[in-house]
Amino acid sequence: MRLPVEWIVEMAPTGDTADELARRLTMAGLEVEETAESNIGPVLSIKVTPNRGDCLSVVGVARDLGALTGVSLRLPSFARSAGPGEMEDWSGVTIEDPDLCPRYAARLVRDIRPGESPRWMQDRLLAAGMRPVSNVVDVTNYVMIETGQPLHAFDYERLAEGRIVVRRARPGESIVSLDGVQRELSPEMLLICDAKKPIAIAGVMGGTDAEMRSSTTVMLLESAHFLWTSIRRTARALGMTTEASYRFERIVDPAGVVAAADRACALIEELGFGKPVEGVLDEYPGAAPRRRLSVRPARCSAMLGFPVTESDVRTALARLGFDETESGVSIEFAVPSFRPDVVREIDLVEEVGRVLGYDRIPERLPEGATTQGRDTDLSTRMGCARRLLVGCGLQEVVGHSLLASNELDRPIAAGDRVAIRSALSADLAGLRASLLPGLVDVLDRNARRGHGRLAAFEIGRVFRRTEAGYDESVNVAGAIAGPMVGSGWARDTRWRSTDFHTAAGVVERLVRGLGAPSPSLAPGDDPRLHPGRQAWITVAGSRVGLLGELHPQRAADLHIRSRVLVFELALEALPDAQPPAALTPLSPYPPVVRDLAPRIALTVPYESVRRAVEDARPDTLESFELTDVFDGAPLPEGVRSLTLSFTFRAPDRTLADAEVADALAALRAALAERCGATFAV
Amino acid sequence: MDELEQLVVQAEREAAEASSVSEVATIEARYLGGKGSLQAQLRLIGSLLRENRPTFGARVNAARDRLAAALAERRQALAAAEAARRLERERIDVTLPGHPFPAGGEHPLSQTEARIKAALVGLGFEFAEGVELEDYAHNFAALNYPPEHPAFDEQMTFYVDDTRLLRTQTTAIQGRLMPRRPPPFRYAVVGRCFRYEAVDATHHHTFHQVDAFMVDRGIGMADLKGVLRQFASTMFGGDVMVRFRPDFFPFVEPGVDYSILWQGRWLELGGAGLVHPNILEAHDIDSETYSGFAFGLGVERIHMIQNGVADLRLYLDNDFRFLSQF
Repeated sequence: MRLPVEWIVEMAPTGDTADELARRLTMAGLEVEETAESNIGPVLSIKVTPNRGDCLSVVGVARDLGALTGVSLRLPSFARSAGPGEMEDWSGVTIEDPDLCPRYAARLVRDIRPGESPRWMQDRLLAAGMRPVSNVVDVTNYVMIETGQPLHAFDYERLAEGRIVVRRARPGESIVSLDGVQRELSPEMLLICDAKKPIAIAGVMGGTDAEMRSSTTVMLLESAHFLWTSIRRTARALGMTTEASYRFERIVDPAGVVAAADRACALIEELGFGKPVEGVLDEYPGAAPRRRLSVRPARCSAMLGFPVTESDVRTALARLGFDETESGVSIEFAVPSFRPDVVREIDLVEEVGRVLGYDRIPERLPEGATTQGRDTDLSTRMGCARRLLVGCGLQEVVGHSLLASNELDRPIAAGDRVAIRSALSADLAGLRASLLPGLVDVLDRNARRGHGRLAAFEIGRVFRRTEAGYDESVNVAGAIAGPMVGSGWARDTRWRSTDFHTAAGVVERLVRGLGAPSPSLAPGDDPRLHPGRQAWITVAGSRVGLLGELHPQRAADLHIRSRVLVFELALEALPDAQPPAALTPLSPYPPVVRDLAPRIALTVPYESVRRAVEDARPDTLESFELTDVFDGAPLPEGVRSLTLSFTFRAPDRTLADAEVADALAALRAALAERCGATFAV
Repeated sequence: MDELEQLVVQAEREAAEASSVSEVATIEARYLGGKGSLQAQLRLIGSLLRENRPTFGARVNAARDRLAAALAERRQALAAAEAARRLERERIDVTLPGHPFPAGGEHPLSQTEARIKAALVGLGFEFAEGVELEDYAHNFAALNYPPEHPAFDEQMTFYVDDTRLLRTQTTAIQGRLMPRRPPPFRYAVVGRCFRYEAVDATHHHTFHQVDAFMVDRGIGMADLKGVLRQFASTMFGGDVMVRFRPDFFPFVEPGVDYSILWQGRWLELGGAGLVHPNILEAHDIDSETYSGFAFGLGVERIHMIQNGVADLRLYLDNDFRFLSQF
């Protein structure tokens, strides 16, 4: 909301400069976001919080300023109407739906002489961000900005029977609003009608049927109070927000309805372009007594943290328009009708604190029982995964949850993509089921920017829709393309080329580092990945993720020249870290290391070889390691040689050659039987 | 000079002229070995008079010792020189760049979240995990948002169906934690939030928030101010001042936004206030006996302030040139 300083200080003569005013209002909760210049001086842009509809006016802002400074307000004085007077001869008001319209007032102005409003009024309207239209419309807008009460002017002569009927729309009814749009109405919308037809969408916008025209000589001026939820629903359903609906949604003072109409009539008379008819039609079926609330000064002190006296409470609330009705240990006040936001004692505590100033609140640390601070188990695991992957040389990235439909976006477990309802942009059309689309995109964009080292991971939430509902879980995923380090000058190329097995090493490190058993890999069938270079990752018997080379077709459009390796695991599917087993005593005896080089058909995966060794594992075998894989001449076609290095050791003795020979023989036999291995020697 | 004397002088000269350890070994064999010259001299002893034998034997032994010492000394000197030459040959250019190891790094938001967590855990807050795909009831209704309230205008978000939405605030977790156990409690949550906003340097539809709240006997605005100051001091270092300004959030009353004075500037950090009694009562907590505070702030905002980052979009853009600076 924009208000010229000139207008504010005319009502609240605080003696402040524009900057002082801005600071004072900001510190009282009416944040001044900007001070601009206009031809009538500085203009404040005030951000009014949604609970303070009473401040959407010059009077409202001035009232808060008066309370903060103790300055007396200089409000405009004008002739007040009392009773229907001559109005009953002219018109009538019927409220058929008082639940949506607690009050409706109408006045008439005749001998309207259309023209322009005076310069000073146009200047103020322009400064407040409204375009001057005509003297009649300008006055209604001027009074709305001054008092907060939206007004509407109808061409009286075009009203059937000159009457106003306030009612819900009927099924199938429509209206052409002032912006020229045909609006289909629904029965929960409130209408202003004449005896026959709708003439306005209540509180939102007028219709063309009773629009003021240059030929209009008699005007019916509406000032009303509408149920705020109804106005909001209607405005949203019609997709329109107007100055009037914006204010009505934030609750306009029902007590100020007639005064606003009177103020407008007085201005019209004063400016000489019309003659108000004496009297007002004021239907007020929703009249309610003012809310009464008690507040304890002691409670104020306890909540605000500094001593608040009875007199502090009285002064602060009286300045804000609260009237004291009873006093005792607590003081009872009648809440002004323009403060519907004040409904509990704590609201009064806030008002007292606001007037006294929050700078008086001291600092104190809570004195109660000590509570144990801790992080969550999931977050601890995420942090552990993060450190492990950083240790592997991957850069963490944080991607978008909202994602355009993408063929890389597939969940690890079964389920459908979660779509955003009526998404306005394709980029924000759904929630990611996988971290891979984002990661590949990050790699691609960095490649395009000329970055050579492409190794990244993300730990984040993914979503899927299952028969049971929505599933939200945390995945960890990585993507590596090309060298893990810059080119360097070293001949050791360990980090300079990466392949499937590099990514497999990262996954092994991750899973083991999280305290889970070693992952096992089995050929996978994910369409996103190279059919011959991908694996399902299984840990402790359950499938937790996948690993592989991005399908060349998927990588074709990327700016990345190297093959792209990716992996993704469901972090929460990994078993919890096991408490360490009893310590294995450190054998003082020397190890014996022996190699075997079985020749095995290429069709036998290493996993079978590993299992064969594990299953045949002699007691004395401490560990074993694959140290070479070789195929090609002089080996026959379809056969490869695997070099396995076995370390034997006993806890209680130096192993005899014969013992080691026996163990090796057993391993050879197992490999021969299980994997069809042959041995050159 | 007899033959023995000449032999020793000759051997000493040869030793002195030896240019390698192996030459010294050859000389040693020639003079001191089993078939060496001194051994030959010793064999002459049988041809001497009985009374001359001890003297001659002693002289041969002395000559052998003297020669052995000279050879050892020469050998040592030559070995040292050879070792020195070998080390010299092994000299490298120590100024060449080291072989690179793959360098990873944590995202700045993770780093900031970790610091926030450490600070709040130190203040006794127990962290909990919320969900990003939240229900309307927790995101709004449980937080004292009246239906159709204009407060929703600041909280436009993405819906997946009539009741499920992407949470607009981590505060949404309050309704899940309040019933966990009776007060006193201090909880906190950090995570991703969403709002239907146009993206620019200071707005994003996706951002990260931390929310903390506590409920105990006699908690008031002073406790909030004290805890915020402690928290801000830990996060920003040094002494900071906290300032409150009235603001409105349906779930707190009084509601404030708070700023800290840091390096001579007032920086708005987030929203805070006393937990609304309606919320306490909704969880059967006696709002006369118990009260509490809640505060929230943006994770990005903290990192931006501390590192002079002016564009919020950089965090989700993941340009490695940006990420590697932290």
